[in-house]
Amino acid sequence: MSTDQISDRMPEHLDLAPTGTPSSAASAPLSQRLMRSDAVRFALPLLIAIAAISLYTNGKNSNFLGGDNIKNILLQVSVLGIIAIGQTFLIAAGQLDLSVATLAALAGVIGATRVNDGGSELWAVVLVVLICAFVGLIWGLLVAGLRIPPFILTLGGTSLFASLALRIAKSSPVPARDRYEWLGRLDVLGLQTPIWFFLIVVAVAALVMRYSRFGRHVYATGSNEEAAYLAGIPTARTKVLCFVISSTLSGFAGLVAMARISTGDPRVGSQLALQAIAAVVLGGATLAGGRGSPLGTFVGVVLLAVVQSALTFNNVQTFWNEAVFGGVLIFAVVVTAVGDLRRRRTGARKTVAAGARRDTA
Amino acid sequence: MADANGRADRPAAIELDDITKAFPGVVALDGVSLTVRAGTVHALCGENGAGKSTLIKIATGVQHADSGHLRVDGVPVDRPTRRHLQDLGVRAIYQERQIAADLSVSENVLLDRLPTRFGCVDWRRARQLAAERLAALDIDVAVDAPVRSLSVAQLQMIEIARAISFDAKLVVMDEPTASLSRHEVEPLFAVVDRLRAAGVSVLFISHHLDEVFALADDVTVMRDGKVVANGPASAFDTTSVVQAMFGRSVDRERVERTSSTAAPSPRLRLSGVTTSRLVDVDLSVAAGEIVAVTGGIGAGVSELARVAAGGTRPVAGEVTVVDAKGVAQAIRSRRHALSLGVAFLPADRKRQGLLLDKAVADNIVLGQQADGRHPFFPPGRVRTSAASLVPRANVKTANIDVGVGTLSGGNQQKVMIGRWIGVDSTVLVFDEPTAGIDIASKFEIYAELRRLADAGAAILLCSTDFQEVGQAADRVVVMRSGQIVGEVEGRLATEHELLQLEMST
Repeated sequence: MSTDQISDRMPEHLDLAPTGTPSSAASAPLSQRLMRSDAVRFALPLLIAIAAISLYTNGKNSNFLGGDNIKNILLQVSVLGIIAIGQTFLIAAGQLDLSVATLAALAGVIGATRVNDGGSELWAVVLVVLICAFVGLIWGLLVAGLRIPPFILTLGGTSLFASLALRIAKSSPVPARDRYEWLGRLDVLGLQTPIWFFLIVVAVAALVMRYSRFGRHVYATGSNEEAAYLAGIPTARTKVLCFVISSTLSGFAGLVAMARISTGDPRVGSQLALQAIAAVVLGGATLAGGRGSPLGTFVGVVLLAVVQSALTFNNVQTFWNEAVFGGVLIFAVVVTAVGDLRRRRTGARKTVAAGARRDTA
Repeated sequence: MADANGRADRPAAIELDDITKAFPGVVALDGVSLTVRAGTVHALCGENGAGKSTLIKIATGVQHADSGHLRVDGVPVDRPTRRHLQDLGVRAIYQERQIAADLSVSENVLLDRLPTRFGCVDWRRARQLAAERLAALDIDVAVDAPVRSLSVAQLQMIEIARAISFDAKLVVMDEPTASLSRHEVEPLFAVVDRLRAAGVSVLFISHHLDEVFALADDVTVMRDGKVVANGPASAFDTTSVVQAMFGRSVDRERVERTSSTAAPSPRLRLSGVTTSRLVDVDLSVAAGEIVAVTGGIGAGVSELARVAAGGTRPVAGEVTVVDAKGVAQAIRSRRHALSLGVAFLPADRKRQGLLLDKAVADNIVLGQQADGRHPFFPPGRVRTSAASLVPRANVKTANIDVGVGTLSGGNQQKVMIGRWIGVDSTVLVFDEPTAGIDIASKFEIYAELRRLADAGAAILLCSTDFQEVGQAADRVVVMRSGQIVGEVEGRLATEHELLQLEMST
């Protein structure tokens, strides 16, 4: 960083030579880029928090960091995690979907009733996923085409799906008996399938967001939709796709939740939507759009789960759970905001110092 | 109006003393001192990035200096917050309009000082007060008019009325004429004169030196965060101000085309284009040609640019792109236009052009990310592409990871140009390419346009700056109320000539 971008601006103008100063195309030093990358800025503090909480709790009860509890934590969090990854796409694109929790409940109920009628499991899963993808398509088309604010739209959807799930389930949980073992309870290479599904979704999402053109379009759309549109980026299609991805993943997560407990509960996980958004924001996203990453979300989800588990291990009464959850979220956004503020200030101070050195040199 | 003699001994209304301010990567102000005397008009000149905007932000309390002092009426201000300075009579009118579009005119004039009665807003008195304020400045806006229906110039007048409605001492204006057409500038000048006559000081930033000399009593010129010249306007002329701004004199000649290889066949063709603001526009641009479209605000110049680039679909008529083989295709959407090689550089870079929270690299590869079919665009390719585009577009930046928001306006525009060099655009549509850009960078941009045209691009330059179109274009098309009213060769497009075309019926 230097003041060169100002002092060097005096042009050799009217000179049609097409080459510029080659030095200007340099990259910032790798260390600087790392320090500024979202992964380090947002994920690292969360990882430290996770480590601190784990070590503290493990000191009191050494089962905390035992393999069974770690697996348990991941299992507990897999459904929330899959939903949160879907929400990451939306939030990075500057969108939001509040209806994912009741959509997941609806998906679980449909999945359970289908097999009770004697249908095949795979066929039921395909049907539910298609229904949810279609719901996402509708949301996306309404938001992108009619410019309806997604907050209000999906708030309406939340109620709609909740009622629909209750209607299909006739207001009581639908037992799926011993079906769907492969989706919710099977042990593969030492981990249960929900954990595998979660990890696969995180990995694929991380690759898509980082390496695909679509991923770059998501960030550009969230950062400045008008600019992205005028640059020729298909912003409407990008938003629609994000809604489809999120709804599809939510539906799948609902099926996994149902399979885990062999029951399609129409009232399951009413908190999931807000928890998912919280995890995404913990992972470095802003609701304004343009930021956020699947790996950050993964760490955010794990933090929430570790906190939850630590509370249980430390025998904290359950009515504190919500308060701790809220406290973690508020603490995280305040720390991030303070960090941003301080970085701006120290950046300015360094510049003054560098300028002073140049003057005396 | 540079009768500085009668005003030379006026006391200082505001004094900034040895102000220093730094941002990450840039020392914006380096020991700057500025004194605005009571009842005078003071012009602040300098190219973009010289520190003018930062200085007035500090003078109005929006930002705080790292060191230095601020005095109002000779009294040091210890706590220079926005609110406190406002109470001391320092008001500001920023480049961006500060208007609440859903409120009434009277609310916008009075804003946080609505009169109350028994704790409730006294609406009758509010309307009356607002009407008085507007009348005092000879501003012709009805207090009941819906704010959404007003022109940019009228909104600005409302802001001025607000600024002086609470007994102002100093009114600071950041490029007050930047968004006004030439007809709208006169009333603004009249208001400034009234303010001065009433004993109010005015500090204004302008890139138009004719305005500086028409209005100012005093002139301060800044360069690279320092004051380089300061004195009564009568002691300066255009050449000396320009020389001070750049540290040497600047050639203000036309940028002529170097080759005469313009193909006779058009690359971009608009036929019968009609929208809510355009009426039956026919226009064509050939390869190697720079065609400018100009007119006042409201002529539809900006709308034309957007339609030509596919950003808005015309209600009737069509925009056609002809490729090198002579195959013509009508544009269906902005994205379709891009696939046909049409680049677009919108007027409002910050809102419509750049991803301000992202780095130079992310912004300069955006064209490549939008174009093409390949499903992958890995970070490594972002870096290598950006590294090759930054020098090709002559962007001056410390490195490609710098936030694009920290660059000067001229360099931001070059990032936009680089974006389209990266996708081999054959048609470039520029909307106000040099709005808010200093004179030296303007010429770099014109040279860049010419370079692109000489390389075979067809360039449509939409600009309300009469001087600019005369300096940069081969042909100038003049519009009024959404219609084309005349055309003149670039060499002959003097401001006088264009004005006559625009005014004639």
